[in-house]
Formats: sequence, structure tokens, C-alpha cells
Amino acid sequence: MDIAAVPARSAGFFFALAPRGRAVFFALAAIAACLLFAFPVFWLILTSLRPGTGVYYVHRGTEFTIDNFHEVLSQEIVLRALFNSFMISTLATVLSLGVTATSGYMLSRFKGPIPNAWFSLIYIFRCVPYVAWVLPLYFVTQQLNIFDSYWGLLLPHIAVHICFFSWIMKGFFDGIDPSMEYAAMIDGCSRWGAFWRVAMPAAVPGLTALAILCWLYTWNEFLFALILTAHETPILTVVMAQFVHELGMEWHLMSATAVIALVPALIVTLFGQRYVIRGLRI
Amino acid sequence: MADIVLSNVHKVYGHVVAVTDINLAIKDREFVVLVGPSGCGKSTTLRMIAGLEEISAGTIAIGGRVVNHLQPKDRDIAMVFQNYALYRHMSVRDNLAFGLRNRRVPAHEIAAAVSRAARILSIEPLLDRRPHQLSGGQQQRVALGRCIVRNPKVFLFDEPLSNLDAQLRAQMRLELKELRLRVPTTSIFVTHDQTEAMTLGDRIVVMKDGVVQQVGTPLELYRKPANRFVASFIGSPSMNFITVRVSADGEHFALACQGWRFRLPARRFPHLGSHVGRSICVGVRPQHVRLGAALNDDQIALNGAVTVTEQLGDEQLLAVRLGDGEIRIAGVDPDLSLPTGSQIEAAIATDHLHFFDELEQI
Repeated sequence: MDIAAVPARSAGFFFALAPRGRAVFFALAAIAACLLFAFPVFWLILTSLRPGTGVYYVHRGTEFTIDNFHEVLSQEIVLRALFNSFMISTLATVLSLGVTATSGYMLSRFKGPIPNAWFSLIYIFRCVPYVAWVLPLYFVTQQLNIFDSYWGLLLPHIAVHICFFSWIMKGFFDGIDPSMEYAAMIDGCSRWGAFWRVAMPAAVPGLTALAILCWLYTWNEFLFALILTAHETPILTVVMAQFVHELGMEWHLMSATAVIALVPALIVTLFGQRYVIRGLRI
Repeated sequence: MADIVLSNVHKVYGHVVAVTDINLAIKDREFVVLVGPSGCGKSTTLRMIAGLEEISAGTIAIGGRVVNHLQPKDRDIAMVFQNYALYRHMSVRDNLAFGLRNRRVPAHEIAAAVSRAARILSIEPLLDRRPHQLSGGQQQRVALGRCIVRNPKVFLFDEPLSNLDAQLRAQMRLELKELRLRVPTTSIFVTHDQTEAMTLGDRIVVMKDGVVQQVGTPLELYRKPANRFVASFIGSPSMNFITVRVSADGEHFALACQGWRFRLPARRFPHLGSHVGRSICVGVRPQHVRLGAALNDDQIALNGAVTVTEQLGDEQLLAVRLGDGEIRIAGVDPDLSLPTGSQIEAAIATDHLHFFDELEQI
């Protein structure tokens, strides 16, 4: 049997299509993918609008209500969790970007023992499974007396962001011609000045993309929030999970909280979509 | 205005030697071109002068002041990069003003300097545009403007025309020459294009493998290349080289290779005496080979079959089989019909012969 003929034959169906047929094929595939991802969100919204007794037959009931939203928004812990999640996400983003921008720049532009050591260090940390960080971090935050506080959650988030996003930032800076910085150094800037006044403004699309990814990542994060916080610093993802308790499962309230949590994430995504695409394209 | 002196300059990256023992004195207002193939160390040399690379050994002095340990910003230089290196988040006006603002020049002086530079380079209508809205040629003019606006002691050019198409490159070469007349500043220009080197440079420095091969005016390099590398690098089409064996023949030296033998009078070429019984390389430029029979004793004759013709419109280039090698002939009448395989007779004036041993011109 002719081995080379096999892939050609399997792809034959697609290439046999006319250009218009291929476009239709792609459109259908895209719609199917969108439906696949949109359906759970649709179901979530539907559940959030059903009374507590109706969540198990969402597809049959006709009774809808917004009482679930009233109920969760009247709970102080949900409001505090919303505020905390927003603050933690925003602060983690700002602080992480400060470090990842300089770290990514160093990895992109400098060679030598220090960048190599830094590169190796974040590589090693990247190799550690995410879940393995949690228990040591619990003990560290206890020892440092920052358990169940902003810093207790911020510092681990920043550490993870540095490991994961320094690479992406390095990629952004690799895409920026270093000659621009050399020109700035000849034009009167120091090395730091060239970074700050020329490389950073040129990296704005990338930085914006990273800021959005960073914010969404922290906003949606569950494991650190679950282990490293308690009653003092409630976080939205954990509060949501607490609607499942020993007395039962309040899916309608959980769904309403989840829909509320979706709104800021949706705004950030819609605002930042074009930046993310532009930034990751560099 | 300033002179530049490089003394025993070396550059080593780990175990790789990039530049070896460069000694070069560039006079005030002189335009010097560093030329050589990729990886010859010309850009590294320029970047060391700019302060963008550290010097492994030796000294660099600009205007009598050793600048080895000065930051680029303190050397009073300006540089044009191959890919223009314009600040893409700034307008053309801000690009031009950036260097002056860093030096805290008063705003009205900056405005005047920017206007003057824009006028010289005819980029006044572009001042409020962003770099990405400009063509390659316009971007290169802005990069030049960013240099002249500061009135530095030295201009450094790092292959500034390489990214332009052939037509625009020729135009920018002319503009650079005009700019030199208006802004006569000491300049170092790096290129791998020998045409740019020949047309722009007061003097040319030919480099290979981090070593300076020859320094001289364009005509010196063309007429008296120091070695076979310079001979092959300077001039277009490249010089023909034929390896021949030298033998004594009475009052003449006989030089022979397979399919070609000629004699040269010993009194006119005494330096060949020390190479009798050895092989040397004879070089002759394609422009110095003339179709037709040898007219006198000062010309040597050769015969061969045409293998390739290249029609350029104003001339033809021929490749002619000579023994087991090939010789190229330039400046042939474009209307002359010379089909492949046709036998031709050609002559070379002995004055135009160059002789090389393994290292240098004999």
C-alpha cells in the first residue's frame, strides 16, 4: 500500500470542496465550537433566573425570577467577596506587570550569568505542578502572619504570574527592534531610560494583553483563594463554592453569583479583546 | 567636528574573536566607509565606536578624548541604523526632537533645529505623521534628520540603505552625497555593498574575518588592491583570477596554465623573479579585457569559446572558456552577436595585470 497516499485521501474531502464550500465548512465548524462553549453559560444564566425549586428542570419550567440576584446581593459576604476579588485581581495585575515587564526585558535583551540563573529559576518553578505550591504556601503565609490577608494572596499570585508571564513578556520584547533602544541611548538616554521611554511604550499592546490575561486569571482563580483565605478575606470563587453546604445545594444562588462574577470579566474581555489579539500577534 | 582614532582595537566574544587589532585614523570631516562581507566585524567596529559594544582591548578616541568608558549618550555621536530604529510611538517631529529634549535644549531652539533638519531633508509635510505611515525612503530621511538635528561631532551609519529597493538606494546614495556637502561632519559608513563604498567614501576600509585588509581611496583600492580578497571584493563584475605557473624564458617570464600561455618582459616585471618555478595568481578586471587581437608587445592575447552572454543594454558581459577555467569580459558592444560556443580573440594590456601570491599582491 502506498503510505504517502493515506493522508492525501483522508484530507481529500476537504480539498475537494469549492472555495465557497470550504468557507461554509469553516463557518459551520466555528458556529459549532461557539455553541459548545456558549451552552454552559446559557444554562448558567437560565438557572440563575429560576426559583430554587425549579433548577432541576430548567428545560421544562416557565417560571422566572430575579429574586436570586436580590438574595445574593443582600448577603454581606458576597459584596465583600466581590470587592476583595476586584482589588486582589487589580493589585496582582499592577504589581505582576511591574515585575514581569522588567523580567521579560532582561530575558530578552541581556546575556550572562544573572539572566541565565533567572531563566533557570523560573523554568524550574514552571515545572512544579500548580497544586504542589499550595501546601507550602499555606505554611509560609501562616509563618509570615499574612494568612487570610491581601498580601497572603497577592504574593503567591505575583510569584505565579512572574513565572508564567515573564516568558510571554520576553516574547513581546523579542518582537521589538532593540535598535530603537540603541538609538535612544545615543540620543541621550541611559539604559534604564531607553527601557522606560522607548521599549515600554512600544510594548503597550503586549502589556495590555498581559494585563487582561493576568486580571482574568486572578479573578477566576480558586485553589489559592480556597487554601490561603478564610473569613477575613472572602474571595468570590470560594464564596460561590460555599453555596454547596451540608444542608443542601443552592444552585440558583450559586448561578446568580456566578452570573454577577461574569459581568466584570465580560467587560474586561470585551474591552481588551482587540488588545489581546494585537498583543499576542507581535 | 572631530577626528577619530582607533588604536589596537580588539573585540572578543567568549572564545570568538570578532575584531583583531584595528588601527585607523579618521580625519575631521572625512567620510570613511567600512566594507566587507557579513561577519567581517565592520558593524562590531562601528558599535564599539558608538559605545554600544564594550572594547576588549585598545583605545578609541573621538576629538582627542578617549571614549572607551563613556556611555553612548556622552560621546556626542549620532547613528543611523539599518532598520531606521525610529521611535514608533512618537510623531516624526518628536522623533527629531527626542535627542534635543534629552539634553534640555530650550523649546524654541528645538523647534528651529527640527525645522532646519526637516527643510534640508524635505520632510516638512511628514512632521506630524507616525513612522508606520511613512515609506522606507521617508523613514530613512527621518532617521537622517534625527542625526543632523543634534549637530553631533560624528555620524555613524550602520548599513542604512540595505533595506531599500535598488532604485531608492541609488537615489538615497545621491541624497547622502548632497547631505555631506551641506553638513560636512566626520562620518563612518558601514556597508557590504562595494558600490556604496566606492561612491560615498573619501576612504574605504576593507575588512575580512575581523582584520583590516586595506585602507585607501576608492581608486587606490580599485587600481592597487593589497590582496586577492580586496581585488575580488572591489569592482563589479568581480576581478578574474587565473592560477599560472611562472618560469624563466630568456629575458622574459613565461606564465602558463592549461590552455593559455603568455610572456612578460623580465625588466618590466622584475618582482616575478622570486616566483620562478612557483604558481601565482594573475588577476585582471573584466573591463580591462578587450575583444580583438593583441596590437603590440604590451598586450597579451587569449582565445576561447563563449560560454555565457549577459545583455545589460548598454553593454554585454561575456564568460569565455579559458583552459579549464573561465574569464569574464565586460564592456562588450551590446549589438555584437556572439552565440554560445563562438570562438573569440581578446587582448589584455599588461599594465592592467595584477599578480597575487597566497597573501598579497606581488
